[in-house]
Amino acid sequence: MIINGGKKNLLWERWLTHSKDFPHKDAIVHWSATGEPFRWSFKSLLDASVYIAVYLRENGIKEGDVCAIIIRHNKFFYPLYMAVCAIGAIPSVLAYPNTRLHPEKFRSSLKGMSQKSGLDWIFTERELEDAIAPLVFHEKSTIRGLHFPLEHAEKYSAHNCDHDALFQAIEQIRLSFSDTMPLLLQHSSGTTGLQKGVVLSNKAIGEHVDNYCSSLKATQTDRVVSWLPLYHDMGLIAAFHLPLAFGMTSIQIDPFEWVLYPAILLEVIDKEKPTLSWLPNFSFNMMADKIHEDDIDTFDFSSIRMLINCSEPVRADSHEMFYKRFAKYGLSNDALTACYAMAETTYAATQSTPGARAKELTVDRESLSAGIVKMPLINRDSRVCVSSGLPINGCEIKIIDEGDKELGDDFVGEILIKSNSMFDGYRNSPEKTAEVLKGDWYYSGDFGFRHDNEYYVIGRKKDIIIVAGKNIYPEDIEDAVGKIEGVSPGRVVAFGIFKEEIGTEQICVIAETSLDESARKILRTKIIEAGMELSVTITQIHLVEPRWLIKSSSGKPSRKANKERILIGGDK
Amino acid sequence: MISERLKKVILAKLKLDEFDIHDVTLANEIPGWDSLNHISIIIAVEKEYNIRFKMPEVLKLKNIGELQKLVDSKIST
Repeated sequence: MIINGGKKNLLWERWLTHSKDFPHKDAIVHWSATGEPFRWSFKSLLDASVYIAVYLRENGIKEGDVCAIIIRHNKFFYPLYMAVCAIGAIPSVLAYPNTRLHPEKFRSSLKGMSQKSGLDWIFTERELEDAIAPLVFHEKSTIRGLHFPLEHAEKYSAHNCDHDALFQAIEQIRLSFSDTMPLLLQHSSGTTGLQKGVVLSNKAIGEHVDNYCSSLKATQTDRVVSWLPLYHDMGLIAAFHLPLAFGMTSIQIDPFEWVLYPAILLEVIDKEKPTLSWLPNFSFNMMADKIHEDDIDTFDFSSIRMLINCSEPVRADSHEMFYKRFAKYGLSNDALTACYAMAETTYAATQSTPGARAKELTVDRESLSAGIVKMPLINRDSRVCVSSGLPINGCEIKIIDEGDKELGDDFVGEILIKSNSMFDGYRNSPEKTAEVLKGDWYYSGDFGFRHDNEYYVIGRKKDIIIVAGKNIYPEDIEDAVGKIEGVSPGRVVAFGIFKEEIGTEQICVIAETSLDESARKILRTKIIEAGMELSVTITQIHLVEPRWLIKSSSGKPSRKANKERILIGGDK
Repeated sequence: MISERLKKVILAKLKLDEFDIHDVTLANEIPGWDSLNHISIIIAVEKEYNIRFKMPEVLKLKNIGELQKLVDSKIST
């Protein structure tokens, strides 16, 4: 469905259309476990956005400025974000630092990001002023100012505003805007400040919404529920932009509340009757395994037509345990679907068919390792792969070998995507963009295969670790652990090990040391603490004797070889 | 003051040999306690004392001292 075609395919125009077509319909339900939910209608949300947009202009924020937003779950986040878009500035949602992240690490990450992406303004909460202010006054800083827009937003009252005048002021600014303008900037995970900034245009997001909603068979009566953080592409695009641009209601749960008490999502499903939700694989395990029966015994989940598993490798076991646990509450087996997505293609590249559980394919494990998909013979080790479905409209996919040659069905290779919602490149990084975008094709770095027209994602080329949907670079952990006294410098490897019971990876570190057993106890705690300062949890630590680690051809310890060594024989 | 029993449950769940836990200790100051295993630790405490926490009670906890007080109030009723 194209709501505003042609030159005016701008998200703001869509939001404006919805506010006129169904002014009183819920746009965002801002959920809080400790109070009544706050309901933004499409009209009230746009009115508040305009009020904040005028304030931003008065404070010098202009078209093209990059505005980092670092705030916690707050009902004014949404109109603030939309206000930034309204004046043609570029919002970039960043994670609010948790208390375990060392302030210096937070500052250094933000500094690296600002130098790389050219952040102009930081919108945050007063609590972070001391941590961030030194960055603003640094002579090489790109950051021009720190603002606390929630303090202004909280003064907003619909009754004391001349909305017509505010709208007119904004419309004047927007006369020259086009849909090829950048709409937002998303940063990849990581803590070193080397995060890549993905730039997406109005056009890319608008077309993605239309194409993906078509694959989802979505209508404006669908309702989305999400606990996902909005600095994550799944939270921002699938659970915020998509419903808002399409005219659906989105119910937003505080991510911090969900991880402390996962049953909150089920309570919201029972009360608000949503139909769609995107979830990373680990959350299926967590909810199936960690929720008390008497917290949910009267609940009804029959409103859900699709739970979309994404952001981590999709596991058949996770779907099965979730279904077994919640079928008696009205959950349909057909609701368990999957998609394959990445920020570079705006979001989804594939989606499994609505109304059917994502297909599962049992294959011979050894053949799969050799790159060929074969059905297993009796008594052979097998692996169940879950389909991520068909390419969505506007997307083409191909699988290639190491020589860039396209492969046919049932051969494993790198997944390439061509999309009409492709990103505009990594901000200020033409060389990084050129590494992954060749012609019209995006080289995903993921391995997979096609079988009966559907795509299966089975692994990745890079050593990235994915814990609960969050990408973690092993280099960050190795650098931090390598600096601890007692660890042999440069003699550390970090990697992920998938844990079936929790449905996600855990971080494993192998470090060489010549310390004795009693000193190693203290060293273990220091390694865990080094991880905590990066906001990651190191779950497995293997302290080994000097020269234990296997080196790669480059002379550095090999993650792959040492992972295999530890999995086969332990640290002896 | 944090009881040895509560401390033991937490350390066992996190596979830690020793760590000083006081009333004002925050959960995420304890090595290995993160958002992913928070719920597992809460369940382990419930199991140890044969008690049940409610959602608002869990969400309001600010530090380990408050968890201790909540446990104490549950076992005294």
